[in-house]
Amino acid sequence: MLTHEEIEHATKVLGRRPNDTELAMLDVLWSEHCSYKSSKRWFHLFKTDGENVYLGIGEGAGLVDIGDGILVGVAMESHNHPSQVDPYNGAATGVGGIIRDVISQGCRAVGLMNCLRFGHPSKPKNAYLLERVVRGISDYGNSVGIPMVGGEIEFDDSYEGNCLVNVVCIGVVRPDKVVRSSARTPGHHLVIFGSTTGRDGIAGVSFASETFSDDEEEDRSAIQIGDPLAKKVVVDTLAQLVEEDLVDGLQDLGGGGLTSCAGELAASGGTGVEIDVAKVPLRERDMTPREIIVSESQERMLAVVAPEKLERVLEILIENDTPHAVIGSVTDDGYFTVKENGDIEARLPISLLVGGFPVPERTEGSLPVQPHTMDWYEEPDDYVEEILRLLGSVNIASREWVYSQYDQHVQSNTIVDIGENAGVLEFPLNKRLAFASHCNSFWTLLDPQQGTANSAAETLRNLVAMGARPILIADCLNFGNPERPDSYAQFVEAVRGLGRFSHDFDIPIVGGNVSLYNESEVEGKVRRINPTPQVMMAGIFEAGFAPVRRTLCTPWANVFLIGETLDELNGSEYQRLKLGRVQGFPPAYRPVAEKNAMEAVLNAHRARLIRSCNNVGRGGLAVALMKMVIGSDYGFRLNTTTVPGKAGTLGRALFSETSARYLAEVSESNQKQFLEIMARHNVPVCELALTVADHIADFGEFRVPVDRAEEEFRTSLSRYLE
Amino acid sequence: MWGLMIMAIAVIRFPGTNNENDVMRALGTIPGAEAQLVPSRLGSAALKEADGVIIPGGFSYGDYIRAGAVAAAGEIMEGVKELANDGRPVLGICNGFQILTECGLLPGALLPNTSARFVCRWVYLRVSEQTTAFTEGLEDAVLKMPVAHADGNYYCTENDLTVLNLHGLVPLRYSDENGETVPAVNPNGSIDNIAAVINEAGNVMGMMPHPERASRPSLGSADGLAILENFVRSTKC
Repeated sequence: MLTHEEIEHATKVLGRRPNDTELAMLDVLWSEHCSYKSSKRWFHLFKTDGENVYLGIGEGAGLVDIGDGILVGVAMESHNHPSQVDPYNGAATGVGGIIRDVISQGCRAVGLMNCLRFGHPSKPKNAYLLERVVRGISDYGNSVGIPMVGGEIEFDDSYEGNCLVNVVCIGVVRPDKVVRSSARTPGHHLVIFGSTTGRDGIAGVSFASETFSDDEEEDRSAIQIGDPLAKKVVVDTLAQLVEEDLVDGLQDLGGGGLTSCAGELAASGGTGVEIDVAKVPLRERDMTPREIIVSESQERMLAVVAPEKLERVLEILIENDTPHAVIGSVTDDGYFTVKENGDIEARLPISLLVGGFPVPERTEGSLPVQPHTMDWYEEPDDYVEEILRLLGSVNIASREWVYSQYDQHVQSNTIVDIGENAGVLEFPLNKRLAFASHCNSFWTLLDPQQGTANSAAETLRNLVAMGARPILIADCLNFGNPERPDSYAQFVEAVRGLGRFSHDFDIPIVGGNVSLYNESEVEGKVRRINPTPQVMMAGIFEAGFAPVRRTLCTPWANVFLIGETLDELNGSEYQRLKLGRVQGFPPAYRPVAEKNAMEAVLNAHRARLIRSCNNVGRGGLAVALMKMVIGSDYGFRLNTTTVPGKAGTLGRALFSETSARYLAEVSESNQKQFLEIMARHNVPVCELALTVADHIADFGEFRVPVDRAEEEFRTSLSRYLE
Repeated sequence: MWGLMIMAIAVIRFPGTNNENDVMRALGTIPGAEAQLVPSRLGSAALKEADGVIIPGGFSYGDYIRAGAVAAAGEIMEGVKELANDGRPVLGICNGFQILTECGLLPGALLPNTSARFVCRWVYLRVSEQTTAFTEGLEDAVLKMPVAHADGNYYCTENDLTVLNLHGLVPLRYSDENGETVPAVNPNGSIDNIAAVINEAGNVMGMMPHPERASRPSLGSADGLAILENFVRSTKC
């Protein structure tokens, strides 16, 4: 809803009161979702440029040059509010929207990811939401024929009442086929195509820019309905239009509908637009101009077409049997003019509509300082039970129940399926890219800046463990109400953390999205989500390099622990399971150690010295080791429990979540060269374990029964969902 | 060969088909395979010159009614039936298999998976010992390929099943790594672990697993290529 100040401001600029249609247009474009009015002011903290950045933040997808005339495109977005109300359609249209973002840049869509957050699945409502969200994504993504390559799921009570659905789409395009989201030339036609317009998703973006209340269920008319078949036709049709160079500009109709789409085309082209709503193909009768101009009906695109190319465009649209119409044209007057059968219904300056909002004041509150003490910690009596409990934590257990519902192989480019540290796709000219996404919302809750930077570091390790060098970042920043100072402070601190990371590692942020107001109000009490800056990263492999997986693959090799282990159990999964909550200062972001470890591991990979490799992440060393055994034919026997660093006891060494650590399986003959590389990069390393021909997990003082470990790991999530 | 517009293999694309490019790409690696994409709207006339047909996977017409049902009623299927009756090879993969049972070229039906969920995973397949045009040279082998479907639960009447077994019309069954066709490895609940069915004349086969997704070692397996190679060879007979 527009605030009083915003209406006053618009009235002053226009010299008159906006009419109802104009108010609806301003309402959607000035919503937090479309305008980034609370968040944009901090984006200067991000590293957004780089020599390989072909197109940075600002349009549908970021484009990065991966060499030899190939650009990879990424877009990332949230669809949280719709998914809470209607999980199936909300999640499905989230996928639909992100695909549109990528193809509207001229890309072929080649991969999808999704990152989800729910309350604990032992509660039926949460399990139901997860099940329906997964089905929505699966039905939609599978139908359109884009493989799922990765993602993440995390559970915490804070997401009860406000689940998170973040989606990523990956594309590929050659520079001469890139289409820009701008309407540069007055006189060009505006052609809508893909689907008809209805009353679904009216003002969905305004709905997404408010806190949930008890009557959330009444908001169903704000939810869009997806149609994957129509989307598949749009994908194919668009590929043809792009191939024949027929469109001068292109934007998808997503949040904010025609208003946002045409408004942004005009804003970036420095032009104006005129649209006659009577020409828009409708699927419902008696729609008002206001409804048509803000409807968020799915599967629609708006193309800017030069007069001489119009005939061929229409020919292709007819041939593909997709609903379409010429609905208006680009003008030179700098106005967004809405007509109905020639009568003016709305007329707003583009400069007012797009970005012309009065910048709201936001207060950054102070956040509690977290103590480093670990006086809650007691050395466990039974390590075996603790390790089994961690493997069975819903935040660690296998996600196979979920990802087996996603088509991972369509398009025949999938080199590594979901379930490894990262998914790997093959691009043209045999280029291979790895994709991972991560956010530890318990770390970010305790310290948003450290936690965000460290979540990014963990994402990086997922790529590096497989042998890929990170090349780009996309993000989706999910936070609470920015009008509350403490909530706003969490957001700003997280942006600082991600900005810091992007500069430290010199990795450009090329895409992203901000979702605020992720709170629910239940019986008068506000429940805010953990700060969730979801970080997605892509990495590239050297030509001819086969991605290294995490399962042990030879007997009689050494398993090295790379990096120091510190007393960092605050914010860890171990602490969360012990105390039922997290507290204290989370594992620290250590850019120097992280960078050294990265370079050392990548160099060792380049020399083909590592047989299998795992990142040490959630659950610490114990879980990382167990994951290397699960699914392997082999096992390990621990050589030492004296690891580099300051972990005081065996339990602390096993469960600490210190960053900048990897486990690497190295055969005896490669050991010398491996250690030389580690030394050259100043990376502490220890010969932690020996691989053995038996399928065992022998920690020296105790043994973890592997069959029980596998059972816990495989069934601890699915048991709530069968 | 340039300039000759002889269509050897027609790869049919219905609205919603989404594996057509994968099939084309896999065929492209087979020497002597001449394939062309045929949009279904061109109708049966477009198949006149075809030596064989592949109906790839996907979600034809969105599969909004019943998997393959709308596509099966399409005019182009008349052309497929004619080719089949002429003894030309016809291969239906996944949604293509569903379309072939829906239009009556193959017996039985593909019901929703017993899990009631889409399933994507790698499976092992035991090839039958009887030689068919599609599995020649693979008799008794164990192949690795991915499946990806919501409706792959093959079902047929007792009578049909007896005929299928008696005449050796089940070229592929889901098995474990060692070729044992145990129920535990069945991804969809199909009767007798059936993964593929062939007609009595031996020229029309439907299979749920995706040979085109197992066509390069880097994808995890190249076992599917042998089936496509057999298909190509049989178009030349």
